[in-house]
Amino acid sequence: MTSIEVQALTKEYGTRRAVDDLTFTVLPGRVTGFLGPNGAGKSTTLRLVLGLDRPTSGTATVGGRPYASLKDPLRTVGALLDAGAAHGSRTGRDHLRVLAASNRIPASRADEVLARTGLTSVARRRVRTYSLGMRQRLGIAAALLGDPEVVLLDEPSNGLDPEGIVWIRELLRRLAGEGRTVLVSSHLMNETATFADHLVVLGRGRLLADTPIRDFISARVEPRVRVRTSDAEALESLFGRHGLDADRHEDGHWTVRHARVDAVGRLASQAGVPLLELAAEEGTLEQAYLDLTSEATEFTAQPQEV
Amino acid sequence: MPNAPVLHSEWLKIRTLRSLPAALVALFVVTTAFSALAGADAGDGPDSDPLFTALSGVLPGQIAAVSFGALAMAAEYHGGALRLSLAAVPQRGRWFAAKLTAVGVPVLLTGLVTAAAALAAARADGLTGSEQARAIAGCGLYLMLMALFAAGLTAVFRSGAATLSVLIPFILVVSFVVGDSVGTVADFLPDKAGQTALHRTYDGSLGPWSGLAVTALWTAAALLAGAWSVRRRDT
Repeated sequence: MTSIEVQALTKEYGTRRAVDDLTFTVLPGRVTGFLGPNGAGKSTTLRLVLGLDRPTSGTATVGGRPYASLKDPLRTVGALLDAGAAHGSRTGRDHLRVLAASNRIPASRADEVLARTGLTSVARRRVRTYSLGMRQRLGIAAALLGDPEVVLLDEPSNGLDPEGIVWIRELLRRLAGEGRTVLVSSHLMNETATFADHLVVLGRGRLLADTPIRDFISARVEPRVRVRTSDAEALESLFGRHGLDADRHEDGHWTVRHARVDAVGRLASQAGVPLLELAAEEGTLEQAYLDLTSEATEFTAQPQEV
Repeated sequence: MPNAPVLHSEWLKIRTLRSLPAALVALFVVTTAFSALAGADAGDGPDSDPLFTALSGVLPGQIAAVSFGALAMAAEYHGGALRLSLAAVPQRGRWFAAKLTAVGVPVLLTGLVTAAAALAAARADGLTGSEQARAIAGCGLYLMLMALFAAGLTAVFRSGAATLSVLIPFILVVSFVVGDSVGTVADFLPDKAGQTALHRTYDGSLGPWSGLAVTALWTAAALLAGAWSVRRRDT
């Protein structure tokens, strides 16, 4: 069991606080989405966890120890920070062999992770000939090299084609299923919703949320029901009688706010209103996130904020 | 201080970038070729130093050594490469020491072989065995110190282009413009000081070993500044 523990972490660059008193824990066995707009402090936090930047105050540890004290750290933590980190004149395979050598990882692991990331056919080509998506896969291969218990990926789906995006989603699910601790930063909400179990949301360096993704959405987005009927008058009067808050759209369907399909379907059936369509409109992570960050923006705009 | 896996990794980094072994080959070829030309051309004037004539190929050849040091270090300052290196080896001092070993040792060995080949190619007459041995050792050390000097500066500037655009004009200007003035402060410049080891006779204030020691001090200063930069700065 190796968690990432971030405790009262603060990083200042000059007078700007990139990370502001951040506390959260990333647990094994699930994919934690690390969300926030560009500049929210996600990458800085990852660098602080990896000991690449020095915190102004607070601590970040992996399995209770500072990253720098880990022996052969790639065997415990694998990270993708920059897809451009591999030298263009080196082959993908050599890039991985160099990393493997530094942490006493057998060179055969390089070929294994190349196969796992679908790069076997280009392994002996120079990295400068790779597409952005292939570089991204190489970065992920490097993160998996030491078979680490903790995997940190900064915007892994950048530059991936649709097939690659499906692949990374399945990879992340599998890594979490194997009991690893998986932290994946992204500014893409809908993408994150497809793989994350849990969310840590940052805004301007502060922690805005640390919750399971389902709770995050349901707490912030009202449930709605989409209905279509051949008898508009009957449906309208039904909504009126039961005090349901519904809007009629131009194409003839209604959206019922704060309602569930079970309730709307039962009422329509009892009243004998013919339904052509009845569907739940799930809240999206994007809606929930925008709701959250708009609050955060208002909050940070308060001049008397302490 | 560096342990074997880190050293192995840094050596692999050098071996797997084509430009770096190529720079060592260039060091050998350029130095030997220019020395052979100088040897064929050498006059027997009273001012000529047969040892320095035979090793004069080092003056253009050292640019390859300096480039090797700068490029090997500069590869870490592209697109987040240093972050990856330091994530793999978080003990930054140990990492830096391994990098310097992987830069210095190949240049030292290439320098020794090159000096021996240059002496042979120049067919210098009248040099004693001990003079030749001293010159070979001195030449290897000098080239290693210059490569490490460049590597240290690159860690300070975090850019190989910046280092080379300072060092190469500096070497050319010092060698070819103020190069012949003796007994001035120019004797203590990083390259001029160490080059006394390539001479048979020396009438400045520095001898071959003290000259190399002055170059070593410059190199040490650049490496300390580079180490400070690597250890203290956020990446």
